[in-house]
Amino acid sequence: MKRIVLACSAGMSTSLLVTKMEEEATSRGLDTKIWAVAQDKAPEAMKEADVLLIGPQMRFMKRKFQEIADQENIPLDVIDAMSYGRIDGKAVLDHALKLIEG
Amino acid sequence: MNKFMSMLENILLPIADKLNNNRYLTALRNGFMVALPLIIFGSIFVVIANLPFLDKLIGEEAYATYQSTLGPASAATLSIMGLFVIMGIGYKMVEQRGGEAVYGAAVAVAAFLVLTPQVLDGVSNVIPTNILGAQGMFLGIFTAFIAAELYQLFVSKKLTIKMPQGVPSAVSRSFSALIPISLTLTIFLGIRIIFSYTPYDTVQNFIYTLIQEPLTALGSGLPATLIAVLLIQVFWFFGLHGQIIINSIFDPIWYALNEENLTAFQAGEALPNIVTKQFIDTFIVGIGGSGMTLAVLIAIFVVAKSRQLRELGKLGGPSGIFNVNEPVIFGLPIIMNPLVIIPWLFAPVVVAAVTYFAMYTGFAPRPAGLIVPWTTPALLSGYLATGNNIMGTVMQLINMAIVFVIWVPFLKVMDKQYYESEQKAAQSAE
Repeated sequence: MKRIVLACSAGMSTSLLVTKMEEEATSRGLDTKIWAVAQDKAPEAMKEADVLLIGPQMRFMKRKFQEIADQENIPLDVIDAMSYGRIDGKAVLDHALKLIEG
Repeated sequence: MNKFMSMLENILLPIADKLNNNRYLTALRNGFMVALPLIIFGSIFVVIANLPFLDKLIGEEAYATYQSTLGPASAATLSIMGLFVIMGIGYKMVEQRGGEAVYGAAVAVAAFLVLTPQVLDGVSNVIPTNILGAQGMFLGIFTAFIAAELYQLFVSKKLTIKMPQGVPSAVSRSFSALIPISLTLTIFLGIRIIFSYTPYDTVQNFIYTLIQEPLTALGSGLPATLIAVLLIQVFWFFGLHGQIIINSIFDPIWYALNEENLTAFQAGEALPNIVTKQFIDTFIVGIGGSGMTLAVLIAIFVVAKSRQLRELGKLGGPSGIFNVNEPVIFGLPIIMNPLVIIPWLFAPVVVAAVTYFAMYTGFAPRPAGLIVPWTTPALLSGYLATGNNIMGTVMQLINMAIVFVIWVPFLKVMDKQYYESEQKAAQSAE
């Protein structure tokens, strides 16, 4: 199972994206767990995830999260602003899967 | 233009990074998050206790009983929010360093109480609750920072009692905290004693007169507020979360001002402050999210012909009602879009000024000091934040109209561009 966690300020806007990504994952028949958290919960959530995606408006948190990601040995990245605005579940899911595969 | 933008981003990104990854500001923000559910619980009961027309319905006397019955709900939470903020900060400070966080919370509260005068009007052995509210919040924040740091320092110096093997871990943990906590609190007792020899008498008094009063006076003024509102917009223009950055500086001030209004509201007195936490959250940000994009979405539905904007309206509409507006910010897009820079930066500033004067002249009610969750839809939030006053809703409607009018000309230009390129694309496809 691929575990994808998304983080933004309160986990609100990323949760919009979670719904779209889940729809996309189901239609592809993928076994995934996708969820959104507020930024202060992200370090905890990273322990149970295979990849962390950060909302573009929180991209200044990347450096801090990078240290934790290195410890947990998982990849992370900032979500592309265009895909974020369009709530493009497909593009972001592809992004996440690509990161997991490294 | 692009060069200028990337230059500005190069300045803003490190600032956002610094502010957000600063240990103290992170602990402060997360500490407030600990207090937030309690604050909202208390606010809900203030709303219920002040239902409109109820006094006419059940009579003055029954209404007074009704209010005093519900009183403890807010007295135990909202009115002493400083206590929970202190706990939260102490906890988060120690947690960040990987220590036993609950001791951080305990030592922060104890240190604060050590500094607190436990006498009120000649009666001893009391803790004045006003000191646990906004009045003591500044001192509480500093105390929590220092107490947690000292505690961690003493822990890291290994000034702990080591227990032999076989002692239950909970027992040895309680001893391991003994020396660091004792040393920390002794220092605070020393501070209290030193201050009793100064003209300020208490640390509370010292911080209140020297830091809190001047800062809140500055923060409650229109210039500082307009600058804060403008900065939120500037950060967002570069796609950085403006509120979370600016709030970490302004929240202590805005909450303190809010609390003063709450105290006055509950006592039935005139509300002292216009600018408060809820002034920003309800009348500016709370209308669809930062930049008041609910009005922008309405403008899109009214004027837009292009498919791109209409699609965005449908996408951003539902979440916009609950003040989540990332789809608009990243989808319109607002970030780095020179076409919208003028309405984006200035509409909220105009709204802030208009709201300020409307409240100053008494046309609109001032925020009553309740905290309304930021996801509360506009119009309802205005009613609740002003203590069940319909004029709060009217003020929000006026603000929406202002944003609408400022945005329409710019949206029309954008829409025309999108529409023409869509027509061209359709023609070349044929």
